[in-house]
Amino acid sequence: MTAANTALPLDDAAAAADPNPAQARNIMIVGVGGQGVLMISKVMALLGQRQGLQVKQSEVHGMAKRGGIVFSHVRFGKEVWSPTIAKGDADALIALEWAEGLRWLDHLKPDTGVFIADTRRIVPPFACRSRKHGATTNYARETPAEIVGRIADGYALDATSIAEELGDVRAANTVLLGTLSVSLGDPAAEWLAVIEELVPKRTREINRKAFEAGRAWAEAARADPELRFDKTIAWRPASRPHADVSFEVTINPAWCKGCDICVKLCPERCLAMSREQVATVKHPEACTGCHVCEWLCPDFAISVKTNVRESATA
Amino acid sequence: MNEIARVSDFDVKDYLRLNLMPHFMCPGCGHGIALRSLLWAVHELGIDRNKLAVVCGIGCSGRTGAYIDANTFHTTHGRPLAFATGLKLARPDLTVVVITGDGDCLAIGGNHLIHACRRNLDITCLMLNNEIYGMTGGQVSPTTSATRVTSTTPAGNTEPTFDACKLADAAGASFVGREVTRQAPALKNLIRAAIEHDGFSFVEVMSDCTEIYGRKNELGESAEMILSQKSDMVPDGLGNAPDQPFRPNRMATGILARHARPEYGRTYRERSAELRAGTEG
Repeated sequence: MTAANTALPLDDAAAAADPNPAQARNIMIVGVGGQGVLMISKVMALLGQRQGLQVKQSEVHGMAKRGGIVFSHVRFGKEVWSPTIAKGDADALIALEWAEGLRWLDHLKPDTGVFIADTRRIVPPFACRSRKHGATTNYARETPAEIVGRIADGYALDATSIAEELGDVRAANTVLLGTLSVSLGDPAAEWLAVIEELVPKRTREINRKAFEAGRAWAEAARADPELRFDKTIAWRPASRPHADVSFEVTINPAWCKGCDICVKLCPERCLAMSREQVATVKHPEACTGCHVCEWLCPDFAISVKTNVRESATA
Repeated sequence: MNEIARVSDFDVKDYLRLNLMPHFMCPGCGHGIALRSLLWAVHELGIDRNKLAVVCGIGCSGRTGAYIDANTFHTTHGRPLAFATGLKLARPDLTVVVITGDGDCLAIGGNHLIHACRRNLDITCLMLNNEIYGMTGGQVSPTTSATRVTSTTPAGNTEPTFDACKLADAAGASFVGREVTRQAPALKNLIRAAIEHDGFSFVEVMSDCTEIYGRKNELGESAEMILSQKSDMVPDGLGNAPDQPFRPNRMATGILARHARPEYGRTYRERSAELRAGTEG
């Protein structure tokens, strides 16, 4: 049993803690569409195959256009049957997006699981409570420090920024692969060979750099637990500058013919028909300035004016 | 911030003949939205109104041009493209936009359409397709969908329809596009691309006739009609819209064809300059 396990040399401490070394290794990769979840799982699968192990991989994808949930299960070992990972059974959870990582935390092995997450937020549309400017969202409030403190072996890094600094934001997934490689303890050359085989030729150089950056980060973090989560760059301010924006909807009653298009198409239900069959602004404060009423008024009776006042801090 | 500023920078009233407003069109008519999108595109392109000529035919669509504060020309039924051809050849410095309807363009003016497409003169043709002859009392038009009730087809239309975009493409138009009025900003972008295109641009605007067509066919009020446009369209552009004998319920929108072909006005002027040089020398 112990001999079989040498095929994938693990980190010494983790191997010692593993009660059943012949069991398959379970790696879960999560993120949102377009981040490279499947690229990581391909690397993991090929790596497993190179080591003469059985590999099973299953995924949910296809929401890439919408930034929807994407996850992938990779299992490899001497013998693997099920292609999916049960709750509390993952040896490693790689999250390419912070909130997605939190969503799948319960799949991690409670006492030995490795959690590696990118702290960059990608706020999904359904986390938005209101379309108003500057509105608060339902996005996860936990800080990287809180989460990492709760997990046996947790790392939270701003891989997206690291990749950006290297020159291509798309290499963020390779940064995380570098971090993972330290945790799993395989020789870096083996990983790099696999990555270079899978990525397009012209991106080999940037992917190699990203992998090494991720590795360097993880090695520093292992040495000093204080470095296991990024404190300063995790929560970025929204890219849109803060401004006080208000909208003013004006309806010209002389031109309105009461066709009802604006009343029925306003997403915020700001408008109403008067008894004289003329559109009126009923809830001016609810207007988000989407301009739909203005664009679709066939009689040019509506105009939406935006009043912008840059706030003092901006 | 920039996009907000850009949106509010356009005021349609700057481009209208305010003494003629409100316009004569029925409540909820899609032609108003199409007209606004055209003016929006003109505004974004920064076209001088003294250099803009709008040529219209007869019908509801033909009346829309009258409200534009630019050089407008109300011509005979089906012939706006013929007038526009003469205008553009004589005054190549003008931006010539033709507003025509489905009946005006495909039935009465069908012959002018195919030959205008064939010549590929730098004209932008907006065909406002509301599937009916609205102004003359709601007769069936070449684009009226199957089974629709009109004043000349009280038991439902049995004639197959034209796919105007395919017709224009086959006839040689070098830019062909289609958009619904529901997507006003997309329509504006399409019209903008059409005006910018060097050559004959044909844009089919899917508009709603609520009073004469929608009501008779129980398609709902203006808001319901405009909402149903979105479920009818396939925003595929050059993609894979299914081939259907009767047009709507799945229509491709966006830029449907774009070809590099010599613009006729330039070819004509070059040839005439050559001939003139030949006779003088």
